Amino acid sequence: MSHPVPLLQSLRCRLIVSVVAIEIIMLSILVWNNISIIQSTHTDRLRDTANSMVQQIANTAGNYMVAVDYATLEDYLKNVVNYKELLYLAVLDRDDKAVISFGDFPDRARPAIDSHPAQADDGVFDIAEDIKVAGQPMGKVLAGFSLSLMEDAIKKSRVRGTSIAAIEIILTVIVTVIIGLGLTRRLGMLSHAAAQVESGDYSVSVPTESNDEVGKTAAAFNRMVTEVSSRTKQLEKEESRSRELLRENRQLIHTSLEIQEEERKHLARELHDELGQCLTAIQADAELIRDVSGDNKAIQTSASAIMDVSSRVYDVVHSMMHRLRPSILDNLGLIEALKDEIEAWKSRHQNTRCEFIYRGDLSSLGERSNISLYRIVQECLTNISKYAEASSVLIELENKGDELLLNIKDNGRGFDSALSAKGLGLIGMRERVSSLGGSMDIKTSEGDGVYIRIRLPMNNGSDNEQR
Amino acid sequence: MLARTSFISCLLCAVLAVASPVYGQGSCQTFKPMTFGILPFISAEQLVVKFTPLVHYLSEHLNTPIRIETAPNFMTFAQRTQQQRYDILFTAPHFYAKANQVGYQLIARVDSPGMSAVIVVPRKSHIDTLDDLKGKRLASLHKESLASILLRKHLREHGIDPDKDLSIISTPTHDASLLSSYHGITDASALMQPPYEAASEQVRQNMRVIATTERAPHIPISVSARLSSQCSQEISRLLLAMGNTDEGRSVLKNNRFSGFRKASEEDYKKIKALLVQ
Repeated sequence: MSHPVPLLQSLRCRLIVSVVAIEIIMLSILVWNNISIIQSTHTDRLRDTANSMVQQIANTAGNYMVAVDYATLEDYLKNVVNYKELLYLAVLDRDDKAVISFGDFPDRARPAIDSHPAQADDGVFDIAEDIKVAGQPMGKVLAGFSLSLMEDAIKKSRVRGTSIAAIEIILTVIVTVIIGLGLTRRLGMLSHAAAQVESGDYSVSVPTESNDEVGKTAAAFNRMVTEVSSRTKQLEKEESRSRELLRENRQLIHTSLEIQEEERKHLARELHDELGQCLTAIQADAELIRDVSGDNKAIQTSASAIMDVSSRVYDVVHSMMHRLRPSILDNLGLIEALKDEIEAWKSRHQNTRCEFIYRGDLSSLGERSNISLYRIVQECLTNISKYAEASSVLIELENKGDELLLNIKDNGRGFDSALSAKGLGLIGMRERVSSLGGSMDIKTSEGDGVYIRIRLPMNNGSDNEQR
Repeated sequence: MLARTSFISCLLCAVLAVASPVYGQGSCQTFKPMTFGILPFISAEQLVVKFTPLVHYLSEHLNTPIRIETAPNFMTFAQRTQQQRYDILFTAPHFYAKANQVGYQLIARVDSPGMSAVIVVPRKSHIDTLDDLKGKRLASLHKESLASILLRKHLREHGIDPDKDLSIISTPTHDASLLSSYHGITDASALMQPPYEAASEQVRQNMRVIATTERAPHIPISVSARLSSQCSQEISRLLLAMGNTDEGRSVLKNNRFSGFRKASEEDYKKIKALLVQ
């Protein structure tokens, strides 16, 4: 399920804030830069104009100063003093005496000369230029230019620039908000639809609205949802079929195991009832023949041979019967059968210490549980003798009330569980456990022995009895 | 007591007499700069270029600042001369005659026999004689200029009335006169020979002299009556001795002067007569 995005993490909020912040920063830099350029341009323009004007006057005035022709020079200067920014203009002779002056020339207190309008702190840009003829000083030109016009122009430019920047920021905010809302609304719809798909609702569809990137993404999303829905349904169907097959297979295996046990049991009984009786009769007849043969050595020898053969056949049959269905299991119960099996195994593997521990009441287990546990222990011991090369084996069986625990542990070679866990013996054990509703865990690795842990529910015995 | 005072006075005079050459070098020292007035026969800038070395020479040796000054035109210069504006005066011979009347004293003159005015025409012009000038336009300085005076006299001597037979166009300087015919604005030009010879080579190569007037004495140098006689003598001594040193000769070369020599009022009587005419 989708959760509402916190405001600060919202794409919409971040987009708007980022764009507005960038816009404000860039416009501030732009306005500041423009104002600096405007200020610099105005001051440079005033400086250049003033310097140019004064230099031109100084160049022109040289000859007049040598000729002391102040009247003509004054006539000439009258043409230039009308310049609007010029506050005063004065021509000084070689004695530093003002011979011509226009405007408010402060003759008594000479102004300090400024090298740049930015240095003028009295609102007047005062400049001076030496009048020279052929390198000889002939006087000086002094001029003062008002900064007020320039400052007015700079102020107007500053106000204009700031206003334009403010308008642009406002427009940017409005446009960004509109675009951001439109964009993130559709992204939100996509996000919501994705959450629905995540929860398993494949009926969702996102309106494409337009053919832009978001629209195309929405269309692709819709196609993807349709495809995922179709594939998911197909997978579910196949999974259901697989589960059914698996269940049927397991049922088949369980049935096979049961039939196998029944067949073994039947075969053991047949062997005991039919073949056992026959062998007993053969042996009895052979004894009778031997007893009545008198001194006929050949008959005695044949009768003894028949008795020996029948005895060996009986042993073989008895052994087969035991393997098919240990009668002790039916007669004395699981514990005695296991003890008998373990003792027999120990007698065949005298270098391996094998300990059997059992706890709790184990007499009321059903036949299926008994035969399954017996076969599992039998299979484990067979595996240990075949592969484990173990020196110690521990078998624990415990009734814990609601479940039965069977632990079989050896200190043998162990095996790679990934490679060997699928052997037929282990599969058979696992299926026997499964048929009883239990579970089996195997912990092993190469060199670390094998630890098999089986849990069986205690209520399966009654079912078995019913069967 | 009286005898004793006379003795001391005589002793002082004797000491001053012995020490006079030494004192002479500081005799022109004043609290304000001296003014060297030069007739504006060429442009103000050219005047400064030409006369700055001479003025520096005098200033250094007199140990006093000297400034070059001129006037917008001849008449103004003459008027200012009458007002004794200039301490040292470098003016035309005929203006000196008037300056002398207000107290200017002759201390030297340019060491040259004299100077004439020349009438020049463009090299390709068809004007070859003075008679060819009749009905033509001739550029010359103001009527009061020496060149104009010499020209008018010369024309009259050759039977040409300068006020009727041709049109004389007044120009502010000698260069302006020369360039007016060079550029074809007038048919001929009349100017003093020294500025003509000082004109650029290109201009002179394209001009031709068709007449030369009689010679007038060269430029006189005079000093204002307000200068002390010792200062006047010092200036005179410096000018006359310029040709004797490398430094002085270098300065003279800049002005195309061979040197300065002693001048007497007699040299300029002829000019006074000319002015009377």
